[in-house]
Amino acid sequence: MDDIKPDEVLDCRGLSCPMPILKIKKAMANMSAGQVLEVLGTDPGTRNDLPAWAKRTGNEYLGEKEGSGFIHFFVRKA
Amino acid sequence: MAINAPFINEFKKGYHILFRKQWPPIVGGLLIGLLAILIEAWSRPWGIVAGIRNWADWLFYGVGLYAQKPDNPFLFSPSVMDLGLILGSFAAALLAKEFAFRMPPKLETYKGFFGGLFMGVGSSLALGCNVGAFYTPLANLSASGFLMMIGLIFGAYLGLRYILWELENLPSPSPALAATSQKQPPSFDWKMTHPYLGAVVLVGLVLAAHFYGRYSNVEVGGLLLFGAAFGIVIQRCRFCFVRAFRDPFMTGDAEIGKAVVISLIVAVIGITVLKAKGFRSESMYVVPSFGWGSLVGGVIFGIGMVVAGGCGSGTLWRVGEGNLKLWIALFAFATSNSLLTVWLRSWGIRQKLGTAVFLPNYFGWEGAILVVVVISLIWYLVLAWNEQTNKFTVEL
Repeated sequence: MDDIKPDEVLDCRGLSCPMPILKIKKAMANMSAGQVLEVLGTDPGTRNDLPAWAKRTGNEYLGEKEGSGFIHFFVRKA
Repeated sequence: MAINAPFINEFKKGYHILFRKQWPPIVGGLLIGLLAILIEAWSRPWGIVAGIRNWADWLFYGVGLYAQKPDNPFLFSPSVMDLGLILGSFAAALLAKEFAFRMPPKLETYKGFFGGLFMGVGSSLALGCNVGAFYTPLANLSASGFLMMIGLIFGAYLGLRYILWELENLPSPSPALAATSQKQPPSFDWKMTHPYLGAVVLVGLVLAAHFYGRYSNVEVGGLLLFGAAFGIVIQRCRFCFVRAFRDPFMTGDAEIGKAVVISLIVAVIGITVLKAKGFRSESMYVVPSFGWGSLVGGVIFGIGMVVAGGCGSGTLWRVGEGNLKLWIALFAFATSNSLLTVWLRSWGIRQKLGTAVFLPNYFGWEGAILVVVVISLIWYLVLAWNEQTNKFTVEL
């Protein structure tokens, strides 16, 4: 995770369901194929929701990294 | 000793699956259905709103607005169930290291407040929330649950339309936490202590139930534990009734909706057995809101729960997890429900919200179960069909 260079960073800290997924959906819509989005989040639900959403929409979930009081998520647009 | 290592590994694996990983929704659905039967067999059906209204009643009594002293919240069964739910969720969150006080951005706090307000108003008209006016009544063969279900579906749709509008038109809320990408690692990771705290909370709950028993309140002690069981199951699954109604419109996803249907079917069968055999009275939880109370109340509640990000049970378990937006929602929910309930009573409207319709009176016992199961299965099929075709999904 440490050597992934995100093309965009989306800050979703403090947001809870459904806002993180909706914002991610919107951010990804404006990105090109192959680009990586980094999401900063605090909602534990995102841990399951983001991989599931990525799988359903054909995008590539790259993984998560523990931050200081939040989590970094990485997803690549297909 | 060579024996210890694989044993410890198995223990760690089991602990991880039980307490760290999220449980699948269907597991939650089945357990909730089972708990709903057991709690009604033990004492009384599962409900949420009466308990939180009791807390608001105490607040208003304390400031002198209400003249009548409310019931003792530690002995009043709805309140004890709710306390159990919050504490159970709290313990489960601690064990999973998922507890944290999460401060929402400003826009989210307003949504929490107004969402809670709508839920308070809606639940006052419907005489309950997603649990007390939809799930539990249907499981108890009360036709009012169907009207609430219709109201919730419409309300969730309207609530979602607001959220999507907000996404496009209101500026992106800046997070409450300062944007720090590089931070000094904390000198002591407090989260390491959380699982032990969680275990302490669980032990505390069991001890509390024991002491209830010592003072001839075994039934109430049991309700505390049942509440906690609900809280643990729901937190571990992140079981969300809001998603059951909202996701079909938002993403087409039907997983939680299906879990709710299965849960309902399990519960209705078990509770009908209790009633048909005479262990519980037929009128139990046949809510007299079959009429505009459930319908209009359901729509208003549905909007509120989507905006707040939690329903009746959802608000409580998220409170236990430390989500401060839902603390605000709980406050607005409980206080508005308390006030409106008093006003509806004094204006004589409360009796006009609807009637009590007990399905077996019209269809017999088997017919009544069939009605609930068949309508639930139709809903299940519509959810599954929408998951494939996205016919009802709103485009972002």
